[in-house]
Amino acid sequence: MDDLLSEFLTETNESLAELDVELVQLEQNPNDQELLGNIFRLMHTIKGTCGFLGLPRLESVAHAGENVLGKVRDGEMEVTPESVTVILESIDQIRLLLEQLEATEAEPEGDDSDLIARLNAFADGGSAPAAPAAEAAAEEAADEGGSGNPEIDALEAAFANAKGPAELAAEAAAKEAEAKPDEPVAEEAVEAESAAAEPVDDEPAAEVEVAPAPAEPKAAAAPAPAKPKASPKASADAKAGEPKKEGSVANQSLRVNVDVLENLMTMVSELVLTRNQLLQILRSQSESEFAAPLQRLNHVVSELQEGVMATRMQPIGNAWAKLPRIIRDLAHELDKKIDLVMKGAETELDRQVLELIKDPLTHMVRNSADHGLEIPADRLAAGKPETGSVILNAYHEGGHIIIEIADDGKGLSSEKIKEKCIDNGLASEADLEAMTEQQIQQFIFKAGFSTAAAVTSVSGRGVGMDVVRTNIEKIGGTIELTSVEGRGTKFVIKIPLTLAIVSALIVECANERFAIPQLSVVELVRASAHTEHTIERINGTPVLRLRNRLLPLVNLRDLLKLEPVVEAAPVIESTVAQTAASEETSAEAAAPEAAEAEQEAVEAAVTEASAVDKADEEEFFIVVAQIGTYSMGIIVDRVFDTEEIVVKPVAPILRDIHLFSGNTILGDGSVVMILDPNGIAATTGEIAVAEGNEDGVKDHASIGAGDSVAMLVFHAVDDTPKSVPLALVARLEEIDLSRVESSNGQYVVQYRGQLMPLVLMEEGEKLAEEGRQPVLVFSDRNRTMGLVVKEIVDIVEDRMNIELSTDRPGYIGTAVIGEKATDVVDASYYLTQAFHDWFAAERNSTVDDATSRRLLLVDDSPFFRNMLQPLLSASGYEVICVDSADAAMELCEAGEAFDVIISDIEMPGMNGFEFAKKVTTDSRWSDTPIVALSSFSNPADLQRGRDAGFTDYVAKTDRDALLNTLHETLSDLRGAA
Amino acid sequence: MSNESQDSGEHDEHSVLANAFSDAEDFVTFVIADQLFGIPVLKVQDVLSAYNITRIPLAPPEIAGSLNLRGRIVTAMDVRLRLGLPPKEGRDSMSIVAEHDGELYSLMVDSVGEVLALKSGDYERNPPTLDPKFRDYSVGIYRLDAKLLVVLDVNRLLDYSREQAA
Repeated sequence: MDDLLSEFLTETNESLAELDVELVQLEQNPNDQELLGNIFRLMHTIKGTCGFLGLPRLESVAHAGENVLGKVRDGEMEVTPESVTVILESIDQIRLLLEQLEATEAEPEGDDSDLIARLNAFADGGSAPAAPAAEAAAEEAADEGGSGNPEIDALEAAFANAKGPAELAAEAAAKEAEAKPDEPVAEEAVEAESAAAEPVDDEPAAEVEVAPAPAEPKAAAAPAPAKPKASPKASADAKAGEPKKEGSVANQSLRVNVDVLENLMTMVSELVLTRNQLLQILRSQSESEFAAPLQRLNHVVSELQEGVMATRMQPIGNAWAKLPRIIRDLAHELDKKIDLVMKGAETELDRQVLELIKDPLTHMVRNSADHGLEIPADRLAAGKPETGSVILNAYHEGGHIIIEIADDGKGLSSEKIKEKCIDNGLASEADLEAMTEQQIQQFIFKAGFSTAAAVTSVSGRGVGMDVVRTNIEKIGGTIELTSVEGRGTKFVIKIPLTLAIVSALIVECANERFAIPQLSVVELVRASAHTEHTIERINGTPVLRLRNRLLPLVNLRDLLKLEPVVEAAPVIESTVAQTAASEETSAEAAAPEAAEAEQEAVEAAVTEASAVDKADEEEFFIVVAQIGTYSMGIIVDRVFDTEEIVVKPVAPILRDIHLFSGNTILGDGSVVMILDPNGIAATTGEIAVAEGNEDGVKDHASIGAGDSVAMLVFHAVDDTPKSVPLALVARLEEIDLSRVESSNGQYVVQYRGQLMPLVLMEEGEKLAEEGRQPVLVFSDRNRTMGLVVKEIVDIVEDRMNIELSTDRPGYIGTAVIGEKATDVVDASYYLTQAFHDWFAAERNSTVDDATSRRLLLVDDSPFFRNMLQPLLSASGYEVICVDSADAAMELCEAGEAFDVIISDIEMPGMNGFEFAKKVTTDSRWSDTPIVALSSFSNPADLQRGRDAGFTDYVAKTDRDALLNTLHETLSDLRGAA
Repeated sequence: MSNESQDSGEHDEHSVLANAFSDAEDFVTFVIADQLFGIPVLKVQDVLSAYNITRIPLAPPEIAGSLNLRGRIVTAMDVRLRLGLPPKEGRDSMSIVAEHDGELYSLMVDSVGEVLALKSGDYERNPPTLDPKFRDYSVGIYRLDAKLLVVLDVNRLLDYSREQAA
């Protein structure tokens, strides 16, 4: 059965029951205006809903009933037993119709004009001096029908008598045909009916009178045996009576106060905790007679938990119920044609969650319709169908529910967002220039941003997308946005199914236990001296190499200011200890003495002398947590198992500690705090927004210059901070100066079986003879180079905006990193120093200030991407990097536009030649010049490149040639234009 | 009980305040740093001896941690520290559990004494010379035969929002 219908039935049956009671009360206290008002309201609601659902027969009966009530309420009529009777009659008729509606899911055929006529007559006649007896109504009706047939009176009487008991009879009879005490009544009624029906047959007005009255007796009588007299109608009605055996819909669902459910949930939560506790005790006992019953208890509790959770589950459609109306009104108001498509409305989620997302969802749908969709004329002009659509889609995925809100409107306009940002002071023009479209779009989630250029009555209510995001994140959800200008916008919301009971990982730090919600835990890494994972430190900041990436780490101990326990602080194994001699003796195998030496030599943070002795045995765990797109590692001492925990809010005193999202009682009865990964990320200075793109290795990650980039800050010769993108640095090493040799006027050191040239930042500087020297190792393919620095200071996540360009060789320019003016070192320059064959030594600056052109760089080598990007940005280009031709094509599909494309030739998948061919022959970019970038350049290659469609061909390592070529290509373009 | 004759001007104000406590009220008494304190018995839910407390990092120093009292999480506060007294040596303390704003708090004190019915006649306002912390959390003094009893205001003791607002 339709949800709406069954809900209507439940609700209306409730109202009817209430009406029954209240009408009777009214009869006793005719002057109770409040009561009367309530009765009128109930009747009115029934009428209204019937009308809304398209049930005309019910509506007309209810309307007639309401009329009478209206007169009574307005004081035109007095509350008399007769008026109450006639209203009750209409209620009975409604109830009867409802029963049939329930059985057949359609309003039964038939005609109530008699009852309605009587009700109307009553309403009109009520003002006339009313006859006091029950007959009055009947008489009036009869007068109207033009017949004073006494049978009707008899019937009326029979009806009046039979009504109550007959109802009982109906149920009794359904169960047991020989419900003896009631039978005579029913029989009587049926007989009365047939007696009445026949003579009245040719008098239509009076006939209808028959319909309501006998209906119930009929239903009751029908199942009873030996009722040959039952009219054909009776059998039809009997059908209506049948579902009663199974219990009606109205009886199958019952309304329960939410508090009761909440309470139940709390009790079950407690039960779950107690069960956990019991299981914990059981685990510690090898053999126990409690094992079997506990196991059973375990199952029962689990099922109970599921059952109670199910009572809290509601279809998401409930939250959407208002949307069609909102959309309709919006369409009307804004003169748009909007089609609202709702998929997966039956997807269920926790009531609490539902409540929390209701408003954000409504807001977003409203936004889509208001700001997203264009007016019909614009749509037609853009070649789209006149009617825009807003599509809502909900489905389950894992332990989450995914809600998508998509529209096919104009999409987010980067230009407008930029303007807004500048107007509202959210970002500077320069910042914005360097950002990718995606990053710019993220601004709509920032506080103080409203996309509505003109505030209409529907938008601009002070609820921005920032509130939406906050609300969603509050319940552990995430929101993502994809938008293509001209094609539409799509939001994807991911939220956990329930909040009450979550699975959590129990960890220990400084002898205290904490719970981390499993949802945000990606993996666990065990780090110790003997595994491949070692924690390295950069000026005391711990980092971990995990699958070719540096994962920022936070130590829970430091974060929570837990005093270290006697055992030992975590020991830091650093590859800085490596000597140049051989890779065999690299950090992993570093002997304790080496470690000790290293500790003294390097950083103060590592000088926890006590730790050193146990360096070998020391192991600790890193919980890798993901918050939005940001991942980080949390260093803990130990990891226990996972446990189902019931999240309880912390005391108000502790609310302002953002590192905790709640507390809970574990199976062993102890209280633990629940860590909030969002809060931890926030304290580490990282906001969990999907904008940073530290994930350089990920598939077709595009890196704009405005992304926050991890920069390694160091001192070279003096104390002015210098920096280089961390991604460029392969390793941080510390070399033993006694191993440094000199070859051809250049310092070299044997490193991992190769000779690694050492480059000094300052020309003519001499290396010391002895001691240790920190070195940044740059490596690409099989070449490595060491850049000698004085000390490594820090790793800073920041946007790299070159604010001052420089002509100084070896520097790209100056940027503000970590709030300090920092020289950004041009790694390629020093590569030149190390390998003369790699780079043309001559340097002339080709920085063209006038160019602010969008440039797409396609190269599979992260090294080159990282090297060229800052270089090109410094020359005034807006650089987008992708790691494959396929990714580039995706950007093309996505509608990005560039002034020039630089592409590598040798790439996995589609190679440069194929890419060029594809771009120049059939794509939106066919007019965009493409410059080939290759490590080898022989004439044949050149020719092949030109054939493929490359505009120019540059050797990969020739920085100046590249800049010149770009300059020329673009000025050619300008000249042509 | 002894000093019946009171300053009349003082007396008016005193009776107004005393009315709030009705004629005789029962107080749970406890001792912190040899000072007798009391809180209305109706405020007290439970009295605990030493309990296993989980520390809460980053919490204010007087918050000793949280504990599990029959399935409810109770926040433990060291009243000593809250009153600005030096921490106690040795861990054997007792706690009085009180409810505030729907949350349970365990107030750690040195020792819990008996329940006393105190007459309003023995009530007196805080002497103005009292230590500000004491004055802040105390609603008055009862003159007992041998000692003075400081009535602590549990609500003020546990209300941190007031301080944050200030």
